[in-house]
Amino acid sequence: MQVNRMGGPAVLAEGLAKRYTGREGTVEAVRGVDLEVRAGEIFGFLGPNGAGKSTTVRMLTTLLTITSGRAEVAGVDVATDPDGARRKIGVALQEAGLDKRQTARELLVMHGRLFGLDGPGAKERADELLTLVDLEDAADRVIKGYSGGMERRLDLAAALVHEPEVLFLDEPTTGLDPASRLTIWDEMRRINGRGTTVFLTTQYLEEADQLCERLAIIDGGLIVREGTPQELKADLRQRRGGGDEPTLQDVFLDATGRTRQRAAGEVQEVAA
Amino acid sequence: MTPTIALGRRALREAIRQPDALLMTMFIPLFFLIVNTGQAAKIFPTKSTGFLEGQSYGAFQLPITLLLAASFGMAAVFLVEEIEAGYFDKLRAIPIPRYSIVLGRLVAEGVKGILLSSVIVLLALPFGISIASGVLGFVLLVALSALWGIVYAGFMQLVALKTRSAAAVNAGGLIFFPLLFLTPNFVPRDLLTRPMEIAATINPVTYLMEALRSLILDDLVWSKIWPGFAVVAVFGAIMLVLNVRVIQHYD
Repeated sequence: MQVNRMGGPAVLAEGLAKRYTGREGTVEAVRGVDLEVRAGEIFGFLGPNGAGKSTTVRMLTTLLTITSGRAEVAGVDVATDPDGARRKIGVALQEAGLDKRQTARELLVMHGRLFGLDGPGAKERADELLTLVDLEDAADRVIKGYSGGMERRLDLAAALVHEPEVLFLDEPTTGLDPASRLTIWDEMRRINGRGTTVFLTTQYLEEADQLCERLAIIDGGLIVREGTPQELKADLRQRRGGGDEPTLQDVFLDATGRTRQRAAGEVQEVAA
Repeated sequence: MTPTIALGRRALREAIRQPDALLMTMFIPLFFLIVNTGQAAKIFPTKSTGFLEGQSYGAFQLPITLLLAASFGMAAVFLVEEIEAGYFDKLRAIPIPRYSIVLGRLVAEGVKGILLSSVIVLLALPFGISIASGVLGFVLLVALSALWGIVYAGFMQLVALKTRSAAAVNAGGLIFFPLLFLTPNFVPRDLLTRPMEIAATINPVTYLMEALRSLILDDLVWSKIWPGFAVVAVFGAIMLVLNVRVIQHYD
């Protein structure tokens, strides 16, 4: 299992908050998230639409300023040393963000150069990544003609150019057909198997159940559940007073208050 | 290779792969050159029109063509597409100076500007238009046009970064037209009506146009040339500072 240079967690958030102030008043998108992701794990980050998932990920990946609280990735503070944090992370956000007028090889070589590799080094790394995501045959075609699955795989490859310690994947399988989704799952497992921590945001509970060692559920800008899928299911079963083994979907609906048969009481914030 | 150069090379590849956009950048300005010259050439015959300095009216109109071509850059359109598609965020998540993301595109606009201005001038030569200031004048002509292209692309990128909207970028492009026509574009400044002369005098594009025109019609008259370079220097510095500031604080 990979451990960052500080020997601490791969991702750490303490009281992380984001507030937007506009003409229509103040919106608290994230209201104090505490998280700890262990080095080497696949961590699932779940939540309904508008819960604060993407905002949290954007703060952790230096794309959004933090209103209050603090966050570290691989031991580097994202607010005080954003470039240091960027060297440690790979990012594949919602909707494969690619320059579709380039070929896959051109894009990967350019990313290699931007991360400081020399010409031959960048070309070599691009070749390795094209093999890793099985895009060698399409490497010299303009990305515009790629299928959704190919774009996602290339997006993954682009996020891995600099061999990041932590890979943030924001809904990497949304909109993909089942076969492409399984391919991305395999890629994720393979990448994680090489020691990279994966922070996976997803709306697919089956995906989280299959891939994640631990997960957190966010709702209304707060973490409302955190643990392994088994722990969360066991907790719900206990609160229900036994019966059938709940699914992760039951846990999700219970945690976000979106079920008619909620087990007990109000949603509680759970500290990491 | 610096990030700015790497991103500039990418922007050039992007432009090459969008030949229709490049063709339109050439076509519209050349169309205006032909139409404006065709409409007014008889009014201003070479022999009896002193301000033409012995050249055709097409030579007098060439600066407008160059300025229009330099103002049709696609950098902001591609940038806003990238913002909407998410690739801009991918670049922001890379440990490079953020200003290199905007500077890369401006470098590419400069290279495109040099090529486009050179082609336009070379296309004009067979039609009896000559560059009276010689080879150095040609170089200055192309350089000034390209520099203006960078300044204008900087302004459009600013619109893209602030609004993050393709519609706003398209609308922003129209701002140049009033500025282009509040200039001595058909006759020299001293032949304009008084209100138009005042408007032209306070319009910085006038000095750019007069510098370009001087390079085409006159020998090297530095008193007319330097104000054009001063305009691109001042507005270039403003655009550069604003672009860097906006991208550094982009959230």
